[in-house]
Amino acid sequence: MNSVLFLRLAGPLQSWGASARFARRTTETAPTKSGVIGLLAAALGRDRTADLTDLAALLFAVRIDQPGTRLRDFQTAHHADTDKAMPVSERFYLADAVFVAALAGDDTLIRTLHTALQAPVYLPYLGRRSCPPQGPLDLGVMDTDDPVQALSAQEWQASDWYREQRRRDRTVTLTILAEDTAHSPVGDMLRDQPISFDPRHRRYALRSMTSTQTEVLNPRYTPAVRNRHAPLPVPRHEPEALLSPMDGP
Amino acid sequence: MTRTILDVHILQTVPPSNINRDDTGAPKSAVYGGVRRSRVSSQAWKRATRKAFDDLLDPAELGVRTKKVVDALTGRITTLEPSVTPEQAWPMAAELVQAATGAKIEAPTRKSGGKDASDQGPEGQAPQSSYLLFLSAHQLDALAKLAVEGIGKGAEPKVFVKEKEVKARAKRSASTHHSVDIALFGRMVADAADINVDAAAQVAHALSVHPVDMESDYFTAVDDSNTSAEPGAGMIGTVDFNSATLYRYAAVDVDLLAKNLDAGLTDAERMGEPVRRAVEAFIEGFAMSMPTGKANTFGNHTLPDAVIVKLRSSRPVSFVGAFEKPVIHHETGEGHVRAACKALAEHIPAIEKTFGATADATWILRVGEPTADLAPLGTPVDLRPLITEVGQAIADRLRKQA
Repeated sequence: MNSVLFLRLAGPLQSWGASARFARRTTETAPTKSGVIGLLAAALGRDRTADLTDLAALLFAVRIDQPGTRLRDFQTAHHADTDKAMPVSERFYLADAVFVAALAGDDTLIRTLHTALQAPVYLPYLGRRSCPPQGPLDLGVMDTDDPVQALSAQEWQASDWYREQRRRDRTVTLTILAEDTAHSPVGDMLRDQPISFDPRHRRYALRSMTSTQTEVLNPRYTPAVRNRHAPLPVPRHEPEALLSPMDGP
Repeated sequence: MTRTILDVHILQTVPPSNINRDDTGAPKSAVYGGVRRSRVSSQAWKRATRKAFDDLLDPAELGVRTKKVVDALTGRITTLEPSVTPEQAWPMAAELVQAATGAKIEAPTRKSGGKDASDQGPEGQAPQSSYLLFLSAHQLDALAKLAVEGIGKGAEPKVFVKEKEVKARAKRSASTHHSVDIALFGRMVADAADINVDAAAQVAHALSVHPVDMESDYFTAVDDSNTSAEPGAGMIGTVDFNSATLYRYAAVDVDLLAKNLDAGLTDAERMGEPVRRAVEAFIEGFAMSMPTGKANTFGNHTLPDAVIVKLRSSRPVSFVGAFEKPVIHHETGEGHVRAACKALAEHIPAIEKTFGATADATWILRVGEPTADLAPLGTPVDLRPLITEVGQAIADRLRKQA
């Protein structure tokens, strides 16, 4: 039997690198599979060198509930001995974003992960250690095979202020980035399929994903009130009335 | 397994300042809750905390970061066994460092001293590692002990270190008994992933609880040597700044900290003692430190308005959500601290109740009447009692766990 685990990934800052190297640490626009699998492996207490095959085999999809904005951070460092400036590094973050991630797989494994999230062995973070999650990650488990369909059924998880901004919309359209199964058509490629987190030779394979859209209800929807004010009477505008008639021919 | 996790939440107000700036010289910022906030990066405050450790901890509890590890190790060998000369110790020290850390050890290429370097040329210096190595005093001592054994046997260094048991002991020396700063903040070594350490502390970027506008100070400076024939400013410029009430958050995984420090594995009596010292230093260092950015320009040496410390057994909880809706000053007309405390006092019980995430213990350090709303949330304490009480609670828990 299969089921799907949902995570709400929200916090002031997140950073999900798939091709970040050296002094320029970029982020994708949505959580990566390797990042989320890493978070789950850490919750289970697996070491970086541990076997990941079972977790990597989970089918991954993520919904962009609140896209956030990109933030570029600039970091300097100094040599401990000479106090000389070291190369400057750039780090990119997603600020003010909210995502819902879904992982589909064998029910026993999904339940184990769900329990591990309640009391994680290694503390969770959103892609980078300085990005602790805001609020609990856990959104529960659903008995289904299809993460995309399951994500479409999830309530809109955007922040209250963001939903309020869209209060005139009864529904909102959200993007889901879903991992392609072997027999489905090939979409965009991203190198974030984790093979090993061993710090001596981290390895990631290419993964293909397809972008789809889903429409969800806006819980803050408030229809515009029509005719709230009766049309104001147009004041008479006859300046000539103030003029006294001229005597003349 | 019972977990021990420590959450530290701090509200701190800074006057006009530029604590942490980006490449344009402006204070760092981030959008949160749809509005721009002042931000101080986690790495800036971690560095300030680590600097504070110099005054809080014995140098023996801190790491040495240097290329001259062979020198450092040789020093310990000759202290342990005064009959050994440095020249005798170097080869053994070099082989052991290489075996323990995987770092490449080579003769220094840089000439030291003046023009006449004949008496202290490269051949007069100990070999060095090719990059900075971060080793604790305990780690160096363990390696020195091993070296003295080898020298005592009169063994050839290369042959001695090749022995399976010696090699394993050398490796173990570098991967256990980490110094407090390494155990808390981690260690990165460029090409020896073996001895990396997972940091036990997570420090979040500090964010203001309210929206901020960037402000700019236009200044002119007078050239003192100019005569009246040369009127005008010596130079003109601008300095960007803002002022903010910051929410600062850090979580310490005490179990991982204990593992990194290797506390009490050999000595049941002292169980929890190194961890207690590390936790105490972290709370004091984190609460009392301030990154030094533009400190001489703005003199922004403030202390926290409130510190909340929570001891938890399942997972850490950040309360940054209390400020997603920004605290707006003119809503209350009473400053940001009072409004921020009110927001926290509503948010904390609500989130803990909803998710069943109650803390095992809560300590509240607060200053003045504007923070009164925080009082019912936990045990009131001042800084000293806060540090010793949290330290005691951690030591008790670890002893029970053992």
